[in-house]
Amino acid sequence: MAVDWKRFILILVAGASLGLAWNAGSGRGMALGQSVLVQAGDELIATRAGKVLLDQGALFLDARPRDFWRMSRIPGALPLPEEDFERAFQEAEPRLRRASAVVVYCSGYGCEASHLVARKLREKGFAAAILDEGLPAWQDAGLPLDEEPRS
Amino acid sequence: MSALVAHPRVQLVLRLLLGALFVYASLDKIASPAAFAKVIYQWQVVGPVPSNLVAVTLPWIELAAGLLLLAGAWKREAALVVALLLVVFIAAAALVMARGIDVQNCGCVSVTANTAPSAWPPAWTKGVGWFLVARNLLLLGVAMALVVVTPVRRPAPLALPVPTE
Repeated sequence: MAVDWKRFILILVAGASLGLAWNAGSGRGMALGQSVLVQAGDELIATRAGKVLLDQGALFLDARPRDFWRMSRIPGALPLPEEDFERAFQEAEPRLRRASAVVVYCSGYGCEASHLVARKLREKGFAAAILDEGLPAWQDAGLPLDEEPRS
Repeated sequence: MSALVAHPRVQLVLRLLLGALFVYASLDKIASPAAFAKVIYQWQVVGPVPSNLVAVTLPWIELAAGLLLLAGAWKREAALVVALLLVVFIAAAALVMARGIDVQNCGCVSVTANTAPSAWPPAWTKGVGWFLVARNLLLLGVAMALVVVTPVRRPAPLALPVPTE
């Protein structure tokens, strides 16, 4: 076995360079510096700022599937799962109308549901911030979680 | 076994199969890098910005290595690149499984969002799980066979003795 390591490195470097060049020049590219889930109009808030809003009485909405909300949630959060939006929205609407501020979260940076729910809320006339990096970051920061099972 | 893998025709078939698979797997990701980035986020192995870099560069490395394998140029090095990628994929899948993250579409070949659940192919072939790890281990074996084994041409059979009368 005689591997030419220069060729090996060259394949990796050439492939990566082509990819970066294509991304910059093809018109199909994407912004590399931020999550592709973030679109114009999305308002993101950091974990700590979210905690401040929670203490001020902001309404938190859990965009994950309802079974996850049943197991645990940010204290006081209502379920507003993305796949059952219309029904859950009707349940949450009275609280939304009274809320001083609204924050939507889901399960971290890989989760698009909080973005989709926040946009649907915007279409209905409610401004909602997206909790950046969602529930995992909340837990990592040692912030409180309500783990009492709900039906 | 090694004699079989060293057979030039077996080497040719393995090389073409592996090359075609990696070229094919790269195309959808090259066409929709943002959709591929979303899939990488779901693996939750590296954060969003490093995931973006992976989404933009990885498919082109797959394409380059796949095309070289198809062309038969720099065979060992291209196969070693494929092997390296597979090792990374296997390690990332192990991490995803160990943390209990549910990734329904691994983004291995197609990055389109899975909409209606279809009966075929079954979901366990698309998600991150034991099937993916087993498949990648098999592909890793093929890649390493191309790296390590030198094709051996059997000596031509000796001329048959001409029967004499």
